[in-house]
Amino acid sequence: MAATEAPRLRAAAGTTAAWGASLGHTPSILAAAMALPGIAVAPAAHAEGKPEGASVSLRTLAYQDSQPGLRRIRAISPTFQVVTPLMDEDWWLNGAIEADSVSGATPRYHTAVSGASRMTERRTAGDVKVTRYLERLSLAGGLAGSTERDYKSIAGSFDLRWASDDQNTELSVSLGGSSDAINPVNEIVVDAKRTTQQLALGITKVASRTDVLQATLSYSASSGYHNDPYKVLDERPRQRRQTVMMLRWNHHFADGGSTLRSSYRATQDNWSVQSHTLGFEWVAPVSASVKLVPALRAYTQTAADFYAEASYDPTLGEPFPVGYDRNNPPRYISLDQRLSSFGALAFGLGFVWDADREWTFDGKAEVYEQRGRWAWDGNGSTGLAPFRAYSVQIGLTRRF
Amino acid sequence: MPDRPSPQAPTLSRHGDAWLFQFSAMGCDCEVHVAGPVSEEHARNAAQAAILEVRRVEAKYSRYRPDSIVSRINAAAGQGTPVPVDDETAELLEYADRMYWASDGLFDVTSGVLSRAWDFRAGRLPTREALHTLRQCVGWTLAVLERAPGASHFMLLRRGMEIDLGGFGKEYAADRAARLLQERSVRHGFVNLGGDIRLLGPRPDGSPWQMAVRHPREENRPLATIALSDGALATSGDYERYFIGPNGERYCHVLNPHTGWPVRAWRSISVVAPLCLAAGSICTIAMLKGEDALPFLRRQASDFLAVDAQGVVHRREEGAAAA
Repeated sequence: MAATEAPRLRAAAGTTAAWGASLGHTPSILAAAMALPGIAVAPAAHAEGKPEGASVSLRTLAYQDSQPGLRRIRAISPTFQVVTPLMDEDWWLNGAIEADSVSGATPRYHTAVSGASRMTERRTAGDVKVTRYLERLSLAGGLAGSTERDYKSIAGSFDLRWASDDQNTELSVSLGGSSDAINPVNEIVVDAKRTTQQLALGITKVASRTDVLQATLSYSASSGYHNDPYKVLDERPRQRRQTVMMLRWNHHFADGGSTLRSSYRATQDNWSVQSHTLGFEWVAPVSASVKLVPALRAYTQTAADFYAEASYDPTLGEPFPVGYDRNNPPRYISLDQRLSSFGALAFGLGFVWDADREWTFDGKAEVYEQRGRWAWDGNGSTGLAPFRAYSVQIGLTRRF
Repeated sequence: MPDRPSPQAPTLSRHGDAWLFQFSAMGCDCEVHVAGPVSEEHARNAAQAAILEVRRVEAKYSRYRPDSIVSRINAAAGQGTPVPVDDETAELLEYADRMYWASDGLFDVTSGVLSRAWDFRAGRLPTREALHTLRQCVGWTLAVLERAPGASHFMLLRRGMEIDLGGFGKEYAADRAARLLQERSVRHGFVNLGGDIRLLGPRPDGSPWQMAVRHPREENRPLATIALSDGALATSGDYERYFIGPNGERYCHVLNPHTGWPVRAWRSISVVAPLCLAAGSICTIAMLKGEDALPFLRRQASDFLAVDAQGVVHRREEGAAAA
């Protein structure tokens, strides 16, 4: 017998994969073992569960957007977040507070540089959520609020998640409501109100050892003051109803241990704004403690049916759109770039560094650009300057 | 299942990038490895829950504790009164039933009494009379299981019969412990109960754990290393309890339930499967099948490593190599 070094078996590329993808071919011994309740096949993919442990995080976001010739909004947003169990491991609290400093200029219509309204604002926001975990069910209730000089908002939410016996399927139901009060500094309106209700249904499925799929459908109805008080010629319907569908797919690569997160989101509303977002995020471990996360997002939206293109009436001049009749103005109108038709691309790169058992550092940088010409259906809005935004975020988390 | 009770507290140490919890249970050295971004306290709580679960399974199904369900079932053998069993026990007995049929009657949890004819410590062969008497008390078809949710019953029909769940107790405990770690969001690590291993996930950087399979004859070097990121690995061998007879032949503790004599065809069989319970059952049945082990193993679609009586290594892929 030759005394050679111990033979190496080829790495099991995926034990479940070797057993055949379809349950119909599952050999009987494995099927018998899987039938016992209380022991589950461990997939590399998994649906959401309890937090791993208590933690506090401090994160800061720096944001700047611009268009050629004008730096627009700049914001610094530090956030402090806490995740902690209450009493025992079945009750968890998530809380966060944020203190933003926002300043800069926004166009008063379309992307007009002159006469842009300037502002400086401090905004404070907080939210708290309590979750109760039961055997296969979790219930959560949350409250959130934000306040700044011209806008105050308070919101409440309730979530229910239910997991199947084998933990491979999860259903979720969410209800939410918010109430906003708008008091613009130019006093164009005083104490305007807006309320929103939202319902969302979701299903998450662990499809295989390496794949998690999720589909969510949500509906929101908002009534009250929707205008942007700092824009000229802005009169929006008092009702907005929106439906959002989101599909997600997380795929884990057993060789290398990276995960690709893909998502598609489609929205439509009664203002005729339809949008599509395609997003990819690749979580790639580069060492035992560091992961790099490159990300790509592509977006398109159609204009609201009351959006007026940046094509001005030769008689009345800017900002009046072609054919505007001052004696018989349109019921609804907006010159807000955010309601135009455009396409956008975003590239991001992030990292997560688990320095040791207690500390994690994370960071992300993203660049976003939007242009009318980039709309996927080729009918993008014209006459608007391209819009660009940069953001950088760094964070620190301490686990307990 | 264990030879002796094991009350010692687990020891905790850091092992590379993982927390390692070592403890004794089920008559062997056990380990829980927890890796990844978890704090020491969280790892400790998770491992403690897993270790308690192993001890719970050990105590519940121990033949040596008079208050365990197995002892109560064995004490009532032949008395005609069905013993109430809870859902977990009923499920395990139903699993034993499926293993009996899947192995063509070779995997029989009532065959434990046959080892009484053997004295492994003294190295004495059984007498024909002793084996004959004990064989009357062996036979899974002489057991009755009535299943009803929350109201199941089990009965052994003949006096002297006994069930012994040691054939898959360790593997079941490994899967249960892993499930508790999973519920505590441990995504990297594994449970190793005396060589029966169930993984939770790869190392934090995504690379697999290197699991060494014990060489059946040489203590100092492994037979092979298997790289695993998830699933389970179980091994059955003729070296765990044995003695060498007068003519130099080896008698091991894995007994054929029909003859009462040990299996001879394999030195060790290791199986990789998604669940430790499945892996353990497959390698035990393969040992019992003797010469017919390889076709059985190939039908299971599991990765395996089998060393025959001559020391030749057989794998799923064609081409054997010398050990």
